[in-house]
Amino acid sequence: MPLDYRRFNGPDDSVSYKRFTPDFLKSYEELLGDLLEKNNLKDEQASDEAQRVFAETDTISQAKGSAYVEIKNTKVVCSVFDPREIPHQNEFSHLGQIYCEVKFAPFSCSSQRRPPAPDAEDKALSEALRQAIEPAVCRHLFPNYQIDVFAYIIENDGSCLAAAINAAGLALTDAAVPMYDLITASSMAILDDKMFVVPNEEEEELAMKSQESKDINHGVITLSMLSELSQITSFIQIGSLETDCVIKAMDILEKECKELVPNIQKVVVRNVIKNVKRQQILHESAKEMEEILDEKYNLWQKSLKAKSYLCFSLSFFSLLA
Amino acid sequence: MAGSLISQSEQVFIVHGVENDFRSDGRSSIDYRPMELETDVVSHASGSARLRLANTDILVGVKTEIDVPKPETPGLGKIEFFVDCSANATPEFEGRGGEQLANTISSTMQRAYYSPQAFNLKQLCIFEGKQCWKLYVDILILECGGNLCDAVSLAVKAALFNTRLPCVKAALMDGGNIDLQLSDDPYDSKQLDIGTAPLLVTLCKIGTKCVVDPSAEEERCSVISLVVGVTGNPNFYQTDDNVIPDIKCKCSTISMNGPGSLSPKTLKSAIEQGITAANCLDNALGDALLREKDEISYLKKHSYGFLK
Repeated sequence: MPLDYRRFNGPDDSVSYKRFTPDFLKSYEELLGDLLEKNNLKDEQASDEAQRVFAETDTISQAKGSAYVEIKNTKVVCSVFDPREIPHQNEFSHLGQIYCEVKFAPFSCSSQRRPPAPDAEDKALSEALRQAIEPAVCRHLFPNYQIDVFAYIIENDGSCLAAAINAAGLALTDAAVPMYDLITASSMAILDDKMFVVPNEEEEELAMKSQESKDINHGVITLSMLSELSQITSFIQIGSLETDCVIKAMDILEKECKELVPNIQKVVVRNVIKNVKRQQILHESAKEMEEILDEKYNLWQKSLKAKSYLCFSLSFFSLLA
Repeated sequence: MAGSLISQSEQVFIVHGVENDFRSDGRSSIDYRPMELETDVVSHASGSARLRLANTDILVGVKTEIDVPKPETPGLGKIEFFVDCSANATPEFEGRGGEQLANTISSTMQRAYYSPQAFNLKQLCIFEGKQCWKLYVDILILECGGNLCDAVSLAVKAALFNTRLPCVKAALMDGGNIDLQLSDDPYDSKQLDIGTAPLLVTLCKIGTKCVVDPSAEEERCSVISLVVGVTGNPNFYQTDDNVIPDIKCKCSTISMNGPGSLSPKTLKSAIEQGITAANCLDNALGDALLREKDEISYLKKHSYGFLK
């Protein structure tokens, strides 16, 4: 990894003090115990996962379309820019392209500071995002053009790819890019027989962590789909899972994605209403302006007429004289 | 992906064939094309393999290096995958043309090898918290004839099977540092335990069905393919009779490639089809590798490919 010379780095063989904190030294079992205890507390509050999504459009005024999505503590801003010609390409491509970039804010992760330059994870996420949203866009409508989608993860608390896909889908809708269907995504962490829908960072990490005991199902799945068409656009799984478990998880995630759709639709409808209202106001104010202008025009016309009449009569009289 | 141009009627022919489980080269939907595999082809690498799957040619070399383990996982080694799409394969790969494809393949491999149930990084540990082996798996794509992911995963598994790590003769503690003395006898080495290493199976959706190991023409007919990584069975990779209880094959990674989408039903059947195909493939690979190992130990090896 390239060193950041603007910061004080300490000696080469130094290690972070965090390695010796009690939180770090906890064994896998202790972490699991803690997590389950926390989840028990949470379950008492009994909240629906789909209700915990906050979404908003029009967050970035400079972009053609933009969205801000919060899922639990994960916060993502996404913006979509106007189609432009594909740079550095000589051949004509019949289908438009989508360029995606996912970036973590340097302060987005709890454990370490993210390097400002994109690393392998950023690139993998960008690729995954592109794969997820590409089937949703009517790409034949803008041949030889490219749409840029930028997702910025402000805070990462697990399932950031799902949040990014949701945000990108909403931003594309906001930008009025022609699409086949609304795209929604959801993710799940699996640990033995427990399934955490929309996992937070702890759950995700624990599900990915290496385990001593063999033959335990563990892994993370992210699924994105076009619910109305019931088409899965991307399915990403890491870990080690039995087939039955994958299929079971898939069914749950499908349902989760479907439940998310009305929430996203609500945001879109709200956005449309807002825009219609704004248009009405604009229309009215334009009308008012027009009336004022008309009045002025009439006044001016009258005065002009009077003047011309005066001139005419003057010249007439002079002729007579 | 790189491939040949085919006409509309050829596409229709292929799609209709697949629908009736007839493919243009006489295979069924889970059959692979003939493969050619040889190990120990590069003398400067710790382990190497060359795989030719129809027109796809892959060369894999494994280099080992001593490294410091990550602070959060003191008892584990490291493994890294690099894919190089050589411009020899197709002119499209010239310059940075193959970069995106290379990134996709290497990240898929990295994900497939992530789980300890797929590849146990503990075996790469030398001294906990201080020193471990780091494996650099360099994958060279020499010729591109479709189905790269599967070919790459097979070649990588073969190369890892062929990898020998030198044994540590002595370790001297000097203050906080460790001085290792490695054995320089090439036969004083240990093999890696790669029985469970995953194989990737690409299922190409053509029409309404999925086929395994698509040729370049078949790849042209499909808009979406599913890559399923399936863990291997260690029983296929050992000759002695101490049979380990059968471990069920698991999915180590699933991802999708291409601009299309899949219906949930197709996805489910494709995953199961992939697991069946991977199991057959794993068995065949195990047989081939064991045969190859015997040949090498009798020093009667004759090479098939251009690398002598």
